[in-house]
Amino acid sequence: MNTSNQKNFVHDSGAGEFEATLRLIAQLPAPNGLEDRVQAGLHAGTSPASGTASRRGRILAWPVALRLDNNWMRSAAAAAIVSMVVGGGWVVSSRIRPSQSARVINIAPHVAAPGGFSSAGAMRTPQTLNGPIVENPVVAHPVAAAPQTTKPSVKPAVRGKQTQLHRAAKPATANTAISQPVASAAK
Amino acid sequence: MSIFLTRCVWWTMSAGQAVFSGWMEIVDKAEFDEARQRSEEAALAALVSQYAATLYRVAYSVLRNSADAEDAVQEAFLRVLRHRDTLGEVRDQRVWLVRIVWNVVLDRKRRMKTRPETDDVAELARVLPAMGLSAEERTAAAQHHSHVLACVEQLPEKERQVLMLSAFEELTSVEIASVLGITESSVRSRLFRARNLMAGLLNHARSLR
Repeated sequence: MNTSNQKNFVHDSGAGEFEATLRLIAQLPAPNGLEDRVQAGLHAGTSPASGTASRRGRILAWPVALRLDNNWMRSAAAAAIVSMVVGGGWVVSSRIRPSQSARVINIAPHVAAPGGFSSAGAMRTPQTLNGPIVENPVVAHPVAAAPQTTKPSVKPAVRGKQTQLHRAAKPATANTAISQPVASAAK
Repeated sequence: MSIFLTRCVWWTMSAGQAVFSGWMEIVDKAEFDEARQRSEEAALAALVSQYAATLYRVAYSVLRNSADAEDAVQEAFLRVLRHRDTLGEVRDQRVWLVRIVWNVVLDRKRRMKTRPETDDVAELARVLPAMGLSAEERTAAAQHHSHVLACVEQLPEKERQVLMLSAFEELTSVEIASVLGITESSVRSRLFRARNLMAGLLNHARSLR
């Protein structure tokens, strides 16, 4: 009902002479044999020579002569594939021989650090001191250790800060041990 | 070593079976596709026999050349053939086909704009029904129709399309809206404007005479 009303709205209101022309053209009969020609064109479009995808899936299909649904064909094909794969693998494995040198692995010997502690596998260890270095070691007998020069060592009148620091770093016993023979010789 | 070889054989056998079974599934699928293709071709043949004449008239109303219209119908059905997988999803096949041929026709019309208009008169005089008219009367009628169609060509594209499709009694305003991809209210408003413009053009031409 609604459709017919819509159609009436479109076609009845304001119909003029131009619409008669348009309707005349719209009602022209189709030429004879149109359907046959269209069908023929569609068949040409679906033919294999036209290159359409209508015959997809035939690429991997069996040839018509071998199109059998028996299971023995599947088994034979599977056996053929297996034999080909196994044969190919055997050929490849027989030609490849592993080298003997690859079995030996050289490992660098681990050298333990001196002093009882290990370097824990470190590739580079810092060079540590063996102990404190004393410029003037303490001597048990001061006479034997006295210097051979007759001139006693005189302290310079002015000393720099660096000298004072150096003296402070020296042990006090060493100064006294050296100065006592000098004083006695002056007397 | 023997375990390795056994495993190799087992693996290759299973892989071979898998490949071969997949191959046979492809073959089965090909046969299924072939059957489906036959059914689709039958459905397409039914569409051709049912709607080829309608599509031809739609194409002729725009192209106004029987050979071009026939080619357009052929091209439209070839497009349908390409999208035949979606044939089952189409709700209204008639409107769908009209829409396809309408797009084909518009494409062709844009490509052959250089066609001389004098062909329209000769073509119309050839194809219009005689209805007991003499040769002179047929020629005069063809000239009148050609003049009307020339006025139609002067309309804006949107109004012209609606006016031409409204001449087909098979198509309702809803279906015209579906073909053109617009709303029904747009169809009505465009049709109203097209009629007014056509009346003005024809009156102007009449006053010039």
